[in-house]
Amino acid sequence: MLKFIGGVAAGVVLTGALGYGMADKLMFNETMSPFGVEETVARIQHNIQAAGNGWTLSGLRNPARAVQADGGNTLPVMMVEACSTKYSKPILNEDSVRFLSILMPCKISVYKKNDGKVYIGTMNAGLMGKMFGPLVGEVMGQVAADQKKFLEMDPKKPAPPMIVPKAGGEGGGSGGGGGSNC
Amino acid sequence: MRKLFATVALLAAQALPCAWAATDPAPAPGPAPAAKPASKSTADHTKFKELQQAFKSGPEVTKACLACHTEAGKQITHTKHWTWEWMNPENKQVLGKKHVVNNFCTAVPSNYEFCTACHVGYGWKDANFDFKNETNVDCLVCHDTTGGYKKLPGLAGHPAYKEMEFPPKSGKMVKPADLAKVAQNVGPTSRATCGACHFLGGGGDAVKHGDLDTSLKNPGKYLDVHMDAKGLNFTCAACHATQGHNIPGSRYTPTAADKEAAHMRGKKDDTNAATCQSCHGQKPHKATGVRAKLNEHTDKLACQTCHIPQYARAQPTKMSWDWSTAGKLKDGKPFTVKDSGGHDAYDSKKGDFRYESHVIPEYVWLNGKVKYTLLGDPVNENGVTKINEFFGSPDDGASRIWPVKVFRGKQPYDLESKSLLVPHTAAGYGVRDDTAFWQNFQWEGALQAGAEAAGRPFGGKFGFVATEMTWPITHMVAPKEDALTCTQCHSKSGRLQNVKGIYLPGRDANPWLDLLGGLAALGTLLGVIAHGALRIYMNRKAG
Repeated sequence: MLKFIGGVAAGVVLTGALGYGMADKLMFNETMSPFGVEETVARIQHNIQAAGNGWTLSGLRNPARAVQADGGNTLPVMMVEACSTKYSKPILNEDSVRFLSILMPCKISVYKKNDGKVYIGTMNAGLMGKMFGPLVGEVMGQVAADQKKFLEMDPKKPAPPMIVPKAGGEGGGSGGGGGSNC
Repeated sequence: MRKLFATVALLAAQALPCAWAATDPAPAPGPAPAAKPASKSTADHTKFKELQQAFKSGPEVTKACLACHTEAGKQITHTKHWTWEWMNPENKQVLGKKHVVNNFCTAVPSNYEFCTACHVGYGWKDANFDFKNETNVDCLVCHDTTGGYKKLPGLAGHPAYKEMEFPPKSGKMVKPADLAKVAQNVGPTSRATCGACHFLGGGGDAVKHGDLDTSLKNPGKYLDVHMDAKGLNFTCAACHATQGHNIPGSRYTPTAADKEAAHMRGKKDDTNAATCQSCHGQKPHKATGVRAKLNEHTDKLACQTCHIPQYARAQPTKMSWDWSTAGKLKDGKPFTVKDSGGHDAYDSKKGDFRYESHVIPEYVWLNGKVKYTLLGDPVNENGVTKINEFFGSPDDGASRIWPVKVFRGKQPYDLESKSLLVPHTAAGYGVRDDTAFWQNFQWEGALQAGAEAAGRPFGGKFGFVATEMTWPITHMVAPKEDALTCTQCHSKSGRLQNVKGIYLPGRDANPWLDLLGGLAALGTLLGVIAHGALRIYMNRKAG
């Protein structure tokens, strides 16, 4: 009996440790971009606009600018924000999961690292959605499918212009309105 | 379990620093307008009768300047800023803008009227310019404090003397410079006056250097701790301390390793005043703790290597230029294409470009010796031709590891002589020139005209060769908190992964040494276990 309890306990501890160690890689994805920061952002923005399902751009943030304003340096980071009421509405209408508004709008981060290469950071919407029951799981599953489309980039297509929100956007703080309906 | 996970993830997300999540802070209320501070100069140029006249040209202003500053003209005419010519005493190469070829706009010959907008003189429109005439010296371009003096490309170093459309056919009008006002308000050089040329080198803002662009006119502390407009606010001359109009600091013979102590006022010192060491000395870090270790790096590293972690931190710099694609037309007309950030990606006049910001430098050994590929020198048809080659090694005692910008491109060369060619690109303002590439987009005529102006043969057949030009990075010094950390170099894929000739802990390993160390550690562990086991065994046996 003691051996059984010990084995179960050891299994729980091992699983927990494994989960703890792998949580970051499970929850978030990081992929390398073949383009520069601005071109990567621009291609994602245009993919979002072409994705359908009600997706619109809701902002473009540049947190590096806030660091510069404070007298310091950080490598470029830009966050593309997108929203679709098709997906946000059912979650916002359900009180038990309304707190997930904290994850809205959908964010995709584009940044440079010290190796000089550009990376794209995204949340693993599909996996995270499954943690919050069937409604959120289904919605986030669809978001995850669309998110894949956002990141499809064809080098043969010319670089599109980056869409900089007009009202206060691309600043260190405000995301600015990019015609978002969220 | 899943909910626990999600909650942890969300809490973690919440805990992330979110400086960007807040809206931009409201600007602090500015100070009340202050009265104009008293000038520190001992002369008020508005009171000088020589300057109270309606000047019609730049040389007229210069005559007035030289009436008091009797030696200034002579001093200037002996500088590289005037002659655009300098002989490297080590290898006897004749350099200077008049002679070198680069992989930006390439070369001056045949393009004088355009390029000499950045000459400290008036009237250099062809090879017959009179370099002895002191009244051709342009005092105002360096000493203007009004911001109202601008030399336009195509006017052979002159500013606009009448209202004119510039660029031609652009519909934009440029007003003439108020020469009397500018002359009466001369003062020390500034970042703006030096930057009028040095920020715009290579044909535009942030094109050439990577560590010099118009963002340094009014930089924040993050961009350059010395030039920080709200802090130390150094002018260029604060480091490039000038004597008799001779400005120290040259990329033709860069000071790779300054082994002198910090300069002392009053003490005669002919060494380069523009090095870091000339102020900070040889042991710039505090001599305690880990910082003391940093002082031991100064015999191998240039200060810039750690203290300029990236260049072009305020705006992108041009990284490549492919002349071979220039000349495409749409409906018979030249066109431009912008990249995603709004910078030129293609221009019919110049070809393809690539811009990048926050560029991680490349790192090379440099001992201060540089050799240029000049007109007539052979190119490497099957590889990359180095426009300038930096020399250095870890063993010569004179080299340091330097951060550099390597500018890559393709440019025309003569298939017969196998040497670089000069394209005749620009003509004088309003001049119709059928051989100028930027007017007719025909390479043959442009290269023939360029070769004639440069006194070089041209066989009529040309190709495009890959070239590299290397630029030392020395401006845009970041705050010390943003200097490179140890592991950014001391790691296998760190900044210095391609620098050869030194053993770098963390990057390099000796497999035999690693094996010996591993065996020693394993042996120690086994010894401890065996010893412990023996003690336990003996103890039980005895008990």
